[in-house]
Amino acid sequence: MGEPMIEAENLGIQFVRNRRRNLRLREMIIHRGGRQPDAGVFWPLRNVSFTVAPGDTVGVIGRNGTGKSTLLRLIAGVLIPDEGRIRVRGAVAPLLELSAGFSNDLTGRENVHLVGSLHGLSPGFLRRRFDEIVAFAGEQVANAIDTPVRHYSSGMKVRLGFAVIAQLPHPILLMDEVTAVGDADFRKKCYDTIDRLIAEGRTVMLVSHNENDLTRFCSRGLYFDGGRLRVDGTIREALDAYHNVVRP
Amino acid sequence: MAGSVGILPMLVAFGSFPRLVAYVPLRLRVLPDEREATVTSGVVAVWSHRTTLRLLVRRDLTVKYQQSVLGYLWSLIEPLGLGAIYFFVFGLLYRSATHRHLGEAAESYPLFLITGIFAWMWTSSAISEATNALTGQARLITTMNLPRELFPIGRVAGRFAEYVAGLPILAAVAAVYAALGRIDLGPSLLALPLAVLVQTILLVGIALLLSSLNVLMRDIERLMRLVTRVLFYATPIIYPLALVRDSGLPGWVKIAYEVNPLVGIFQLHHSIWYPAEFPDARLLCLSVGGSLVTLLVGAAVFRRLEPAVLKEL
Repeated sequence: MGEPMIEAENLGIQFVRNRRRNLRLREMIIHRGGRQPDAGVFWPLRNVSFTVAPGDTVGVIGRNGTGKSTLLRLIAGVLIPDEGRIRVRGAVAPLLELSAGFSNDLTGRENVHLVGSLHGLSPGFLRRRFDEIVAFAGEQVANAIDTPVRHYSSGMKVRLGFAVIAQLPHPILLMDEVTAVGDADFRKKCYDTIDRLIAEGRTVMLVSHNENDLTRFCSRGLYFDGGRLRVDGTIREALDAYHNVVRP
Repeated sequence: MAGSVGILPMLVAFGSFPRLVAYVPLRLRVLPDEREATVTSGVVAVWSHRTTLRLLVRRDLTVKYQQSVLGYLWSLIEPLGLGAIYFFVFGLLYRSATHRHLGEAAESYPLFLITGIFAWMWTSSAISEATNALTGQARLITTMNLPRELFPIGRVAGRFAEYVAGLPILAAVAAVYAALGRIDLGPSLLALPLAVLVQTILLVGIALLLSSLNVLMRDIERLMRLVTRVLFYATPIIYPLALVRDSGLPGWVKIAYEVNPLVGIFQLHHSIWYPAEFPDARLLCLSVGGSLVTLLVGAAVFRRLEPAVLKEL
């Protein structure tokens, strides 16, 4: 097994509701010190500890707003925790937002090169694989590859985003509700790709509400409720805990 | 006090900076070892991502010019047009008054003007574009784990590329005046790299400071539109520094004027062709010191606000 791939230790992050309103001059002058300084402070995640070993496939389960996406962002390093620490050994291939960070003003082609390079793929590699990436994304995207991404439908963006991310050699793959959009044909391709990546021994963390996806890919499950990690066990145990809450 | 250095004291006076800090709680205490070595780790992170920086700059330039017919020529037309306007007003209409103060630059005022204006275009567009460097690229920043410093620094670098694109024109105009015998080219040309270096330090500092503050307070964007206008006239760009020094302004105004690091930087720019404009030791120290302090403050504020910025984007 060796060293854990991802290690969360007493992880916590704090958000402030209405931060901007609190910063307004009027609020500062009129309510100076008058309001509770902690008003609106909440913890989307707190006291979360777990480790993920190399090759683990982890499903993250919970109702909406229980910190699942926040957790993936912390692992991806695009949020900084307020408490505790998160250690990630190895590069992360994140598919967090459906668009994978595409710039709306650039064409699909330019975005593939930009996002691919930002993730560390070499220009030569991207040129060689370009046709493969576009083919994976489907005919619709192939026809629109030289138009700006802002004209793409959300399905097309996900297809192209996933096609790029699937090329990354990174050992850790994070996916947030990827299979929720896209048609049956694309989902089939996604499944095949994810199967391939798992077979290669990648570490996968998947946020989903789709029970079929979760049981299909994941061996482990993390069940979150109210920002706390309630169950850390097999995917079955996590799903059972989730169902007990949703349908008691 | 110039906007660059003045923002922070102003915020403190407003009472909003302590507030900001209050919303960024605990972090330094909870994660002492990992985020304390701020400046060095920031520099290392940025340096190791210099390819990424180049990509971002190239992307910015592509996006900026892709829908305009004249494309990057605009980065030349705009300063030249401004130069023509100021030449009309101060070189023709106020000819005698301008000539009295210009000294050795009197016979080559157009060169004096565009030297200042090209450098100013870099300054002003870097400031305005860096201010929304984080807010405008939220999509990329919230999906990709890159050193966040790259985004404001990229804006400064992109505008620097435009400045470099204008240098041949500057050189051509200077060559004409040199051929006419109105300026002497010499070792003073070395003032150019020095000016660029100090200006880069200052602009990166401002960019880090403003980009992060702007995420939490969008007022910065509007404020800076006014401040850059003030700075344009509060810096010897279209007029020589002698005009201020020889004026009847009270002593404290003159001192406040020269605290602006841009004053020394633009004197360096002008001294490329006019060695007499080279800043004296005090002015040079103020300029270099002010720029370094701005960079340190900018980097520190950026680091401090980074967790809050990421949540807010």
